[in-house]
Amino acid sequence: MRVTWASLLPVLRTLPWPTLTAAGGVGLLLAAVPRLADGTAAAGPALDLLRCVALTGGLGLAFLLDDPARHTTAAVPVRRLARQALRAALVAPPVALWWAAAVLLVPAEIRPPVGDVTLEAAAVGLLALAGAAAGVRLTDRPRPGPGVAAGLLAAAVLAPLLLPERWALFVPADDDRWAAAHDRWALLLAAAVAAWGLYGRERLGRRR
Amino acid sequence: MSAVLSPAPPAADRAAAAGGARAVLALARFEARKLLSSAPVVLAFVVYIGWIGWRTRQSFAGYPALQDADRSTQAGPLLVGMAVLLSANLAVLRSRRHGTEDQFAVLVVPRGRRTAAHVLALLPVVLLTAGCVTGQFTWEALKPGAIGHGSPAELLAGPLTVLLFGAVGVLLARLLPVPSAAPLLSVCFLFVFVLGAFSFQGEGTRWLAPVVSEASTTPLPSDLIGRPAAWHALYLAGAALCVAFLAVLVSGARGLTVKAGVALTLALAVTGAVAQAGGDSPALTAARERATVTPEKEQTCVERAGSRYCAFPEWVPRTAQWATVVDRVRSLTGPAAHDRQLLVRQRIDARYGPAADSAIPPATRRDQVTVGTAWGGNRVPEFSTAVAAVLVAGSEAASDTMCDGRMVTVMWLSLSWQDDPVDALRRVRLDDSVSGAAIVLSPTDPLTMTEGQTDVVRRLLQRPLAGVAAKVRAHWAELTSPKVTTARVAELLGVAGPGKADSCA
Repeated sequence: MRVTWASLLPVLRTLPWPTLTAAGGVGLLLAAVPRLADGTAAAGPALDLLRCVALTGGLGLAFLLDDPARHTTAAVPVRRLARQALRAALVAPPVALWWAAAVLLVPAEIRPPVGDVTLEAAAVGLLALAGAAAGVRLTDRPRPGPGVAAGLLAAAVLAPLLLPERWALFVPADDDRWAAAHDRWALLLAAAVAAWGLYGRERLGRRR
Repeated sequence: MSAVLSPAPPAADRAAAAGGARAVLALARFEARKLLSSAPVVLAFVVYIGWIGWRTRQSFAGYPALQDADRSTQAGPLLVGMAVLLSANLAVLRSRRHGTEDQFAVLVVPRGRRTAAHVLALLPVVLLTAGCVTGQFTWEALKPGAIGHGSPAELLAGPLTVLLFGAVGVLLARLLPVPSAAPLLSVCFLFVFVLGAFSFQGEGTRWLAPVVSEASTTPLPSDLIGRPAAWHALYLAGAALCVAFLAVLVSGARGLTVKAGVALTLALAVTGAVAQAGGDSPALTAARERATVTPEKEQTCVERAGSRYCAFPEWVPRTAQWATVVDRVRSLTGPAAHDRQLLVRQRIDARYGPAADSAIPPATRRDQVTVGTAWGGNRVPEFSTAVAAVLVAGSEAASDTMCDGRMVTVMWLSLSWQDDPVDALRRVRLDDSVSGAAIVLSPTDPLTMTEGQTDVVRRLLQRPLAGVAAKVRAHWAELTSPKVTTARVAELLGVAGPGKADSCA
């Protein structure tokens, strides 16, 4: 545990802050669109908007586990999952603040149900982290971020197009399927956490 | 890992010029292969081609108007464009990612030319998209029910969008060489161009988006659509090439050709952007007004089996399908209506162009039936209902207020000859029900069915056609008299009557 605390500052320094800031900035810019576009806002677009904002957040988080010093730090006594969790814990407060700001930027009268949309955002963020963890575990690359981001983007574009009716995730707020869809989002969140737990472990034994 | 980082050696300019073009082409070929086989592009093409196959099989209910079918090829390439943006961006950043940027500096191909190669590598993807667009449109055009004319400029929009997005990906990699930039930009594009939320309200700015869709689903004659498709294609081509030249320029190639290219393509893009924002010309507005108010001056009429069919010139081939419906309905009527000469006239409300659909008022002239511009699917029972209503009530305006037993006759005439009459009944009703009161759609104002009428019609449709037809012929005069009640009609046709008396609230 002491070692984990000791690695706090170095990890804080190696986090991809510029990428996270850029993603956050783009997200906030998108979230500000209804306030900038005067009076034409409607509830349907506001939901799409928050989903896009969540996606920018997810894309930022896809780069979170990028570590140029990966091969050097592999030898430290702290487990990889703990190091990754530490990274996530360090960015969690600013990310939460950022999401709150994005939600508040959307005018209250067109804002979709906050709890459910936050669930969607959390699922997207954790999917990104699980993807990044998989990228770290399955490849030798120190920066798997671009591939993970591309995968997340592809999933976000294709899922609304290809998911069959029974598994619909991207439903409008006034739809009957809203509650069922959010059960599926919760499942997705749980699956992402499980996948991260699975892929966050160091691979034992030699590859190839 | 141990590459020595040193200032880039001066490029050998003269020697480079000679071998440069060949080297650029070789690099472009290599990058094109890489791009075509990159995961996002392959995935996008698989989904795109799958979407074409799945959608075109059933699009436009098998009766496409080609002036609409050309526009429907534009949405798919956005997906490909997004993937190309991402992959082209990653390809340009590859040398940075692998730390080989400095090794490249000693080669014969300087940075600007390498960027040019990346831009040229977009061409095969663009051509492949063009092939897909052509395939989709040709498929629509070869359908037996196809009418109208497609516009090549509308077909160009898809491939040019892919070129534009790819060029943006290359430029972005040169301006902002970080791997997170392209995904973030893609999200913005997704939000602005695909979801189309909060964007581009004005007529001029609306056309700045690469793909401009229309709200209306009713086909219009091609000369009344009034989309500045050719200017838009010029704008897209200018913008795409301008972005491409800019990417080469910011990579350090400051030659005269590049600068002239930027200036020229910028001029093209601006010309297109200004020209496409012009709005509807007075002549177009007048033509739309004419086609809406006095369609008889624009239409071609043909005589088929004793009835007259007047359609806008592009729709004349479709009169055969209308005639089939009219003949089927008329063959079921009594002798008095058998020889009635109907005038089937195509009417549209083109005054708002493709921006909005609006209802068409019923025709007041006796024996005139209105038909729209769309066909196939639910349009067939709707038209059939209008024909039956005119044969029973005399005119469309008179059938509008019909609330008596004649409605049963109308619906039976309209539906009984169809392949699955009860299903046709469901489709022609607004709420897709086969019991209870409901609105019945027709090309003009809708009709209403009460609960009792619905029950009687359903019972009639479940009986064999020939038996009911004989009774309809025998009692035609009484069945079509305005005073007949639903209960009396049921009695005449030999089925159980309605539970309640008619009342159209």
